[in-house]
Parts: sequence; structure tokens; C-alpha cells
Amino acid sequence: MPKPRELRRRIRSVENTRQITKTMEMVATSKLKRATDRVIAARPYAAALSEIIGELYSPDLAERFPLLRQVGDRVGRVALVLITSNRGLCGAFNGNLIRLAKQRMEELNRQGTEVELHGIGRKGIGYFRYIGHRLASQRQDIGDKPTPRHAAEVMAPLMERFASGEIDAVEVVFAKFNSPLSTPPTVMRILPVTPVSAAGSGKGGGRGNYILRPSAEAIVEAVLPLYVQNAMFRALVETAAAEHGARRTAMKNATDSAGEMIEMLRRTYNRARQAQITQEIAEIVGGAEALKG
Amino acid sequence: MKVVILSPERPVFEGEATAVVAPAYDGEVGILPRHAPFMTLLGEGRLLVRRQEGTQEFKVKGGFLQVRQDTVRVVAEYATEVTNADS
Repeated sequence: MPKPRELRRRIRSVENTRQITKTMEMVATSKLKRATDRVIAARPYAAALSEIIGELYSPDLAERFPLLRQVGDRVGRVALVLITSNRGLCGAFNGNLIRLAKQRMEELNRQGTEVELHGIGRKGIGYFRYIGHRLASQRQDIGDKPTPRHAAEVMAPLMERFASGEIDAVEVVFAKFNSPLSTPPTVMRILPVTPVSAAGSGKGGGRGNYILRPSAEAIVEAVLPLYVQNAMFRALVETAAAEHGARRTAMKNATDSAGEMIEMLRRTYNRARQAQITQEIAEIVGGAEALKG
Repeated sequence: MKVVILSPERPVFEGEATAVVAPAYDGEVGILPRHAPFMTLLGEGRLLVRRQEGTQEFKVKGGFLQVRQDTVRVVAEYATEVTNADS
């Protein structure tokens, strides 16, 4: 049986750990709240952009705008952007994202498509560097408060290369934020832009009712890049919120199991202490008996 | 009429107004209630929302403005309210 003093030391150490995980859980909870607000606040803008493109889109525009260039089945080269977090201690969060990215790369490779990997976030970059996979670009400075500017910076070179035909598609692997407890890793195709009108509003004639300045074409041309940037922005914001959700869950589990461990150790400690006392009494009694005799 | 100003990060303004003056790509446009359906690209500059209580000023850049069913929707790449302290 372990010594009571040894047990006391371990109890104290686990208690400290529990204090830390508990604090991290609370920090994650408050950050999650703010990150969730950001996800929700970003929705109206995104909805407005898809609506406008849906209203102005017509099939003949697709040929004129490079960003609408539909590639069909002959996808030669894809840029895959993997978004992960910069920090760990959030359970399987980054692992799941990395796994999905690898799956998607294998899938594309099987179809004979070349894949270049772009990393955002330290964890994903670290993993691919570790296994010796080449990254076409990487950024670790975005953190958990992404701005539209970050998204624009990430997308600018990709849009340019897509327009010039150097790459045929841009996909992003990110954590979709359905709720703090449901954040499935997801592959989303950002480019080419999928025409929303086909799926959504079937009213192709709605376009004629507007006074358009300078012209429908010019508006589409200006709005498409915003739409593409916004898709990336949303992926960044949702992943950031999902990260805090995952960390909260992970830290809650850690706090709970630390609590269980303390309970167990304390029980062992009490038993050991009792055993020691019993033994001491026995020794005293034994000693007294011996003196009497 | 209703006015909504959206930036990528959040809705910046939502409410009733009596007039809107916006920086379109080629100069200012004024929108009054019951304007015809309209869509234009935005330039950079200040956007004024006149309300009964007074005028609110915003700085906007990029994006577009849309008028439909007596609702003005400003979807700007960048939009922020100018507080009275600065003006």
C-alpha cells in the first residue's frame, strides 16, 4: 500500500491540474460565447451576397467571368486550404480536421487531380511538416479572431490563379459550426462559385425590374470576389468558434476525470491513514503488554 | 422606409429612416421612401441616414446598395458608424 504522504502529494497535484482545466473551461466558455456571436452576426451579410448573385446570375454571365468558370469533370489542379487552430488542448478537434484533409487529398489524387495544400493554423501546418508533406502556403497569424481582411489576403492569390487557369478549384477544410456540440469537419468548394440561382429562387425575370447602375455585369463583377472572400471569412469564423466549443468540452471532461481521480485517491489515502493509526495503536498496546509482563 | 446596413462582420444599422444619402461608385445618390427598385455599386465615403430623431453618419467602402420594397439594403465591404464625438 502506498504511503499516506505520497498519496497526499498526488492528491494535491491532481487538484492543481483540476483547477487549471476548470479555469481553461471557463475561459473557453466565455470565448465561445463571443465567437458564436460573431458567427451569427456575419450571417446577414453572407445571405445578402448570395441573394444578390442569385438574382443577377444568368448562364451567359458564366462564360464572361473567370470566377464563374465551370470546370466540369476535368479538374487538373486543386488548392486545398486546411484551417486548424493555433492552439492545442481541444480534444480531437485538429486531428479530425487533419484526417478529413488527408482523406480529401487521397480522394482527389485517385481521380488524377493534383492537390496543393495551403495551411492556416499552427496545428495543421505542424502535422504536415512533421510527415514531410509540402505546403504551398501557410499562415499562423490569424488566430481566433479572424477579420474579413484576413480572408481577403488568403483568397487574393488563389482567386488570381484560379482566374488565370493555373488551378481549377479551391476547396477549404474547416469545422462547420452548427452548435457548440456539433462542429463536423467539412469540405467546402469555394471556387468555382456555384451558381446559387439554379437551386434557390427560380425567378430569372426578377432582374429586369431593377434599375441597375452601372450594369448587371459590373455589379456581378464587383460582388463575386466579395462573395468568395466571404465564404473564406465564414469558414475562418466558424472554425474559430468550433475550436472554443471543442476546447470547452475537452476541458470539461478533463475537469470531471480529475475530480474522479481525486475521489479515488482520497479513498485510498483515508484507508492508508486508518491502517497506519491501527498499526500504531497495536504497537503501543503490544509495548504496554510487554512492560506489564 | 426600412434601412439595413451590413458589414461582413455584423449588421451595423437597422431601422426606419426618412432619407438615405449614399456614396455610389460615380457620386452620391439620395434615396427617399417609395424609391423604385434599384441597385448600384458603392464607392468610398460617408453614408447618411436621416431619421426623425436626427441624422446618423457611417463610413462605408465597397459593396453595393439595393432598394426593394421600400427597403434600402447597404451591403458594404467595410462599414462603421461615425460617432458624434469625431464629427
